Parts: sequence; C-alpha cells; structure tokens
Amino acid sequence: MSNYIERPRYTCALGGAIATVEALPRTIPILHAPPGCASNTAWTQAGGCGLQVGGYCGGLSMPGTNVQEREVVFGGTERLEEQVKNSLDVMDGDLYFILTSCVTEVIGDDIGAVVSQFRSAGVEIIAAETGGFRGNSYVGYDLVLQSLWKNFIPVTGEKVKGKVNLWGVPPYYDVFWRGNLAGLRELLISLGLEVNTFFTVDDMLETIQQAGQAELNIVVSDVYGLGAAQYAHERHGIPFIQSSLPIGPSASSEFLQKVGTALQLEEQFVQLVITKANQRYYQLLDPMTDCFNDVDLQRYAAVVGDANYVIAINRFLIEDLGWLPKAVAITDALYPEQLDGLAQKIVPLPSGIQPHVFFSTNTNDIRKLIAAYWHEQQGGFGKYANPLSPAFVIGSALDRELAKDIGAAHLSVSFPVANRAVIGRGYTGFSGGLYLIEDMVSTIIIGR
Amino acid sequence: MIFMSYFDQKEPPRREARLNACIACGGTLDKMANRKMSCCLPDGERAFSQNSICLLLPALGMMNSIPNSVVLMHGAIGCGSSSHGGNAGVRAGNNHRWGVVKDATWISTALSEHDVIGGGEEKLAAAIREIDERYQPVIIFVVASCVPGIIGDDIDGLAQQLQPEIKAHILPVHCEGFKTKIWATAYDAVYHAIGRVFLKEAADSGKQAEKPIVNLMNVSSMGRVDEVELERLLKALGFDVNIFPVFAQPDKMTAVTQAQLSVSTCPTHDDYLLQYLEEKYGIPYVLRHMPIGIENTGLWIRDIASHFGLQEQAEQLIAAEEQELKAALAEFKPFFAGKKAFVSAGEFRALSTAILLAELGFEVVAVRSFHHDEFADSEYEKLVKVTEKEIPLNIANCQPFEEANLLRRIKPDIFLGHMNGNATAAKSGVATHVIYNVGLQYVGYKGAYELARRLYRQLQNPQFNHKLGRWTKLPYSDSWYEQDPFKYIQQPEVGAGE
Repeated sequence: MSNYIERPRYTCALGGAIATVEALPRTIPILHAPPGCASNTAWTQAGGCGLQVGGYCGGLSMPGTNVQEREVVFGGTERLEEQVKNSLDVMDGDLYFILTSCVTEVIGDDIGAVVSQFRSAGVEIIAAETGGFRGNSYVGYDLVLQSLWKNFIPVTGEKVKGKVNLWGVPPYYDVFWRGNLAGLRELLISLGLEVNTFFTVDDMLETIQQAGQAELNIVVSDVYGLGAAQYAHERHGIPFIQSSLPIGPSASSEFLQKVGTALQLEEQFVQLVITKANQRYYQLLDPMTDCFNDVDLQRYAAVVGDANYVIAINRFLIEDLGWLPKAVAITDALYPEQLDGLAQKIVPLPSGIQPHVFFSTNTNDIRKLIAAYWHEQQGGFGKYANPLSPAFVIGSALDRELAKDIGAAHLSVSFPVANRAVIGRGYTGFSGGLYLIEDMVSTIIIGR
Repeated sequence: MIFMSYFDQKEPPRREARLNACIACGGTLDKMANRKMSCCLPDGERAFSQNSICLLLPALGMMNSIPNSVVLMHGAIGCGSSSHGGNAGVRAGNNHRWGVVKDATWISTALSEHDVIGGGEEKLAAAIREIDERYQPVIIFVVASCVPGIIGDDIDGLAQQLQPEIKAHILPVHCEGFKTKIWATAYDAVYHAIGRVFLKEAADSGKQAEKPIVNLMNVSSMGRVDEVELERLLKALGFDVNIFPVFAQPDKMTAVTQAQLSVSTCPTHDDYLLQYLEEKYGIPYVLRHMPIGIENTGLWIRDIASHFGLQEQAEQLIAAEEQELKAALAEFKPFFAGKKAFVSAGEFRALSTAILLAELGFEVVAVRSFHHDEFADSEYEKLVKVTEKEIPLNIANCQPFEEANLLRRIKPDIFLGHMNGNATAAKSGVATHVIYNVGLQYVGYKGAYELARRLYRQLQNPQFNHKLGRWTKLPYSDSWYEQDPFKYIQQPEVGAGE
C-alpha cells in the first residue's frame, strides 16, 4: 500500500457504515465516537452524493456519545450505556444500531457487554465494529451487512423457493444506489422472483429479517459485500452468486441467465424474459436512431471510478453503445491479489483492442497517466492529425480536470458526484442503460 | 505576553480552558442575557446527545482554500472526507477571485490497523517527502486527527526534523476531535500553525504605504461577495485591505504582519490570532461587532474609523448608507412585519442575524447558539432590547432534538439555520433560509438587503417545506415533544446562587 491516498473517493469504514445504516428502514444509528465522525459523513454526502444527505435518522440527528478526553482516559462504556438508554426514549426506531469509531476501538471499549444488556431487556439493538482504520466506506458497508446476518437475521432451515437477497451496491457511495437497486429488483422480478434489496424505500425491516429464508444471495459487485455473502453462506447455508454490476442489455441479459441457471429456472422461460426485455429496450431506443447517427455520437472514452462502475460502464459502452473506451482507471484501494481478476473483467473492443487499465487511488496521478496515454495514442502525419477525439470521460466530479486536459465531455457517475442531483435515477438493468445514454448524450448536446 | 506563550506550545489551549466556553444550556433570553451565562458550565453536557461537529471540519474549510497548499490528513481514511463538501466552495472561491476553477488538494495517510499498532510516523514522513516532490506546494498542512493523538505520533517533532530537507513549509495543525467540544477551536488550531511556523519576524515592507492597511480576517465564514462589500466600506474610508487567511497566496500571507490594524468580523473566530499579532508585532485590533445587520455594521465601521480618528467620515458614510438601505428595504417591511423568526448558528452569527431580523420587522421568537463564551455577552444585551424577554435561548452544539421540540412549540414562520442545520425545521414544515453559505451575501449593508430579498422570495412560497412537513417524519418519539426541551442538559438551575 502506498504512503498516502490523494482526494480519496470514499470515506472510512465508519462513514460507509453510517451511510448503510441510514439507508435501512426505520433504523437509528448510535455512534460511539468523537463528535466529528457524523458531521464528517454528512459533509461528505453533501459534497459527493448527488445532494443526498442522511435519511430517516441521518446527518446530525444521529445519536452519539461524542466521546472526549475523559472517555479516552477512563473508558466510554458508561457513557454509551447512558446514551443508548436515553436514545430509546427520544428516538423513534424499530432497530438501533451501534457503530464504533477509531477512538473507541483503540481505547478498547467493550460494546458487546452494552449490547447484550439491552438485548436481554428486549431491545432490538445490534452493533458493528467499524473503526475507520479498518478500511474504507465499502468495508464499512460489508461490516454492517455482516452484522445484520450475525445479529438480526435468524438462521432458518426453511428456504422459500424463488426468494433471493441482493446486494453489492453500497448506499450513498454508489450515489445511484436507490435507482440501481430498484433496477436490479425489476430484472429479478421479471424472472418471477421475490427480492429483498435491504436499502430501498420499498424495503422493510420485517422482510429484511426474513432474509434467511432466501435460496440464493446475489452480489452484484466484484469487490463490495463479499464478506457478508461468505458469512451468510457459512452460517445461514445460503449459496451466493457474484456478478459484475449489470448495466445495459448485454450485461443484464447475461445476469438474468446467470441467476436463472443458479436457481435452475426453466431455460426457455428465462430466454423469453431476456428476449422481451431486449425488444423493449430497442423499441424505446428506436426513435433516437436518426439523431444518434446523424449527429455522430460515437465517442472515444475514458472511464474512471470504482470497480463496480468501471467494469460495468466499460462493458456497456463497448457491447451496447458501440463507443471506444481507450483507458479505464479503477480508483479503489485494492490488495495486489485483486488486481488481475478485476483487469480481466475489462472486456475488450470487438476489434480485440483492450482498453488500457490503470489502478490508482490518486486523482492527480490518474489525470496525468490518462492524459499522457491519450496524447501518446495520437496518430496522423503532417497536417493530418488523428487524436482520440471526440472524447468523453465518464468518471467522478474529480475527473473534470482530466476531461478538460483531453478536450472531452464529462459525466459524473462514480463517487464523488458533486455536480448532479440524484434522487431515484439508476443505471442498472435494461432501463438503466437507456438512462445512461440519455445523460451522456444530453451532456454532449447541451449547447445545441 | 500570554498569547506569545500560547504560541510557544505545540498546540493551542482548548477553548473550554481559555475562554470557559460551553455547549449545553437552555432557558430564556432574559434570564441568561445579563448574567454572563453563569448557568452554562464549561464541562456541562447532555445525558442524551446527538452527534456534533469536530474542529477538523471548519479547519479544513480554511486550509483547503489556501492556494498552492496541500492538506495532508494524518489519520484514518475518512478524516478529511468532508473536503468533498468543502470543495465546491474552494472551486467557487478560486473562480470568484482569479477566474479559474480549481479543486482543493487534500491527501490522507489512510492509517490502517497495522499503523495504529505500529505507529504512523514513518508513513507520514514518507508521504511528506513524496508530496513535496510530486506536488511542489508552498505549504503542506500536516493535520493530526484523533488516532495520532491517541497513539502518540508526534507531528510537530517530525515536521521540525524533516523541514530542512523539504522545500514546502510544513505546518502541523492539531485537530484531534476528542480533545474539545468547541469546534471554534479550529480557528485557533490553524492560526496557531500559521503564526508559529509561517509568520516569522515582522517583514519590513521597505517603504511607507500610501494608505493605511487593515487586515480583514476571514476564516471562510464569508464568500467573496461579502469580502467585496467590506472592502467597499473600508476603501470608502481610505484604507487598503489585506484579506487573511482564506484564499491568501502563501507568499502574500506574511503581509498580515505589516498592517496598521487588524479587523475581525467575529470574535468567535479571531481573538486568538489578533491578540498574538498585537503582542508580537504591535498591531492593534478591532474585535467586537459583527458587520451583519444595520446597526451592527455601523458599530463595526465606527470602531475601525475611530482607531484612525476618522469618526466624522464614518458618520457620513454610515448615514448615507443607512438612508439608501432603509429606503430600499421599505418594499419588504410590511410583508415581514410580525412574522416569527427562529435562528440557529454559531453564537455571534445567530445573535447578529437575529438583531438584523428584528430590524427588518420580524419578531424573533427563539435563538440557538452553537456555544457560548464571554465575547457574546454584549450581543445578548443588544438582542434583549429588540425582542420579547422570555423567548427560548438554547446553547447547543447542534442537537436537533432540542430544536425539533422547540419548533413544535413555537411554530415560527421562518427558521434560519447553519448549513446542514435546516433539515429539522424543513421537515417540521417551516420555511427556512440558510444563515451561512459562502455563495450568498450576508454582510454589511448590501448583505442586509440581499438577505431581506432572499427571505422575501422564500416566504412567498414555502410550499416545499410545508409538503415535506406533511409527508416526512423526524426520527423522534411522540413522547419527546411533550418533554421539557432541555430535559437532558446537565446544569445547575438557572439563576442558582444569584
């Protein structure tokens, strides 16, 4: 690991855990932390999450112990006990979720004892150890999911046919998580499945608590949420399949196929669903045919962002939209053993040309590497130039400087999304591909 | 030479100790205004609390603005991610000043479990060396968050040891969130680093300036539009203005030691540095009134002018400005008359804005201040003259549950809260307006008018919040609204011992 990360495109495990708990229905996070961890999360969301901050109990309304030097010296469990007790009176929730911080973990507070004391009194309360030094926000997301599987979802031998759980899309740090989860749910419903997505406004704690009845867990990420899938497999006996995030018709068709196979659904039925969805997609796209071709909307592209989006968008651009991604950069903090596997998920152009894959956590490095690569690729002779132009950067708000350097249009999709307002939009599934076309093309033609 | 001795230490004192600042109090304005807030104890707390802000956040607001600097967070990967929120202000701030949109550069040492056990100094040293080489900044702020404070990483020792081989100036800044509840300590922390490491001996300007130079302090509580308004007023009195420290080019920062007077817009921000500048460089200062509101802007101008014997010019300026402003405000006043306003923000901001609202014809019905210290006593006394005496006053480091309870009792027509502090009122169905946002204008005569203009706009259609109030729910139990809003504040009875 390097000695620093420049402008990290995530926050810490606690920040990711806070965001995840905020997205659970009627859940009250209780932070065992110094005063700034919650506001740090809120300001991060305000700047990076498409103007979405908090949730039912988010921002600065989250209860917390606000630990100070006194707790650092003498321990903070008494303060936590008092805080939980009073939170039950003031806050209206169906689940209380204690999250720990760097400080309270380093000083060694035993929160397990506090939790069991309240649980034995019948309070629906669980905890996760999410000290920031454990990793980034995606780790925090996984830790919260693991805690749900350990402490909230009962183990049951009774599996219900057609019932599945789906995750791999971290709330807030995938800025389009609500739309993305809804898009994926729509896909799975088309296969006749009952889907628990945990974090959308249509999910409820009651159904989350029945997650143990599922016959399959589906993780739509090559990186996020795998710890929880492993745990649920071992402890709850639920197998899981893993897929890259499906964006657009090609990936979505393959995703449906993969789920169908795992659940042993009738093949003809699955094929029919896939065919209909493709027909619908192209029926919707059809009226854009004239303009798409006449305006010459094919682009060279650079894709920068988290592993979920880079793999998914690269594939969509290549296999569905017919664009030319020439360079992609994955910005996650990864272990060396993860790199090869992820690089292999970057599909090549039909010509066989592979987009150049960069792994870097540093915005400035990415900017320099891709800009240099872009200029190196310049062909031509004499007055005849053959640059990688027209170009488009699909990345985060931090990649606007890169877009300027290479003369490209730009759309923020991966965190941080500072310059867009996001509510229900998502890019997964068939419809998501259409939304992505709308957003990219709208950017190109904005001055029209 | 008490402040010079503070600056000899590695980190500034906590405001709890230096100023007896406190964060937990509830009562009514009249009971508290004239008692020097004796009810509010420096270590007072709540038995139930919501999360708050730590000093790192406002400190980043200052540091991220400095051109050609890198902010190196020494901590876990999350500390400093609030810069994603601050970055919009940095981009706009750069654009407003130089016509170039530019992001801030913040970097994290991303301390891992391994570093927590083994110590992070080596990693920090390597990061400083690499950053110096690769980014070539003029300043590297090395910022300690909570973890280094507990595991004992010595950022000051390391900075001193590395400085000879590093081209950038290394400024160690202490932002350990568990060390203070008063996040205004942030200003002391950044000023401390600048004063201790960056401002050396008084630079000799070499020639006598034609006009008197005044330092205008801005810790990022004002956007460029507000600076322009204060510059306009100061220039009208014949001064040159040196704005410090936000968006100050590092090579120009040192000019702060050459002014004839330092001028603060808020005692919550600047007392620590201004007293140091006076002790060390003999620069007197003005630190009393905040130029928000009609009367207060006049008082602020008078303080500065009288320092230079320009009372007469100041009176002429104030009279002309007030005349024009009052004529312009006439359009709004009938609309505002009798409407109830509730304000919540940093102490001085909340109080001076409340006084301005009273000047505009609103009835101020409740005030919340993020903390309290002695500087604001005079401001409470001004306020109590223009409002009802028994309105609720709440000292709270945010704590929106108290606010939600108060809002339901008071039902104001408009709520003015700090950034990230308007959601409770909005979801209670109350029209809101942000009391601080660096893109908007608040300060001076222009600011008073612009605020009035925005309130006039807001109040013409508060439907967004009304509908939110109808269809969303705050996360509090029904029974909470029936309790005393100050139930969880651990404090002696108001008035005890008096």
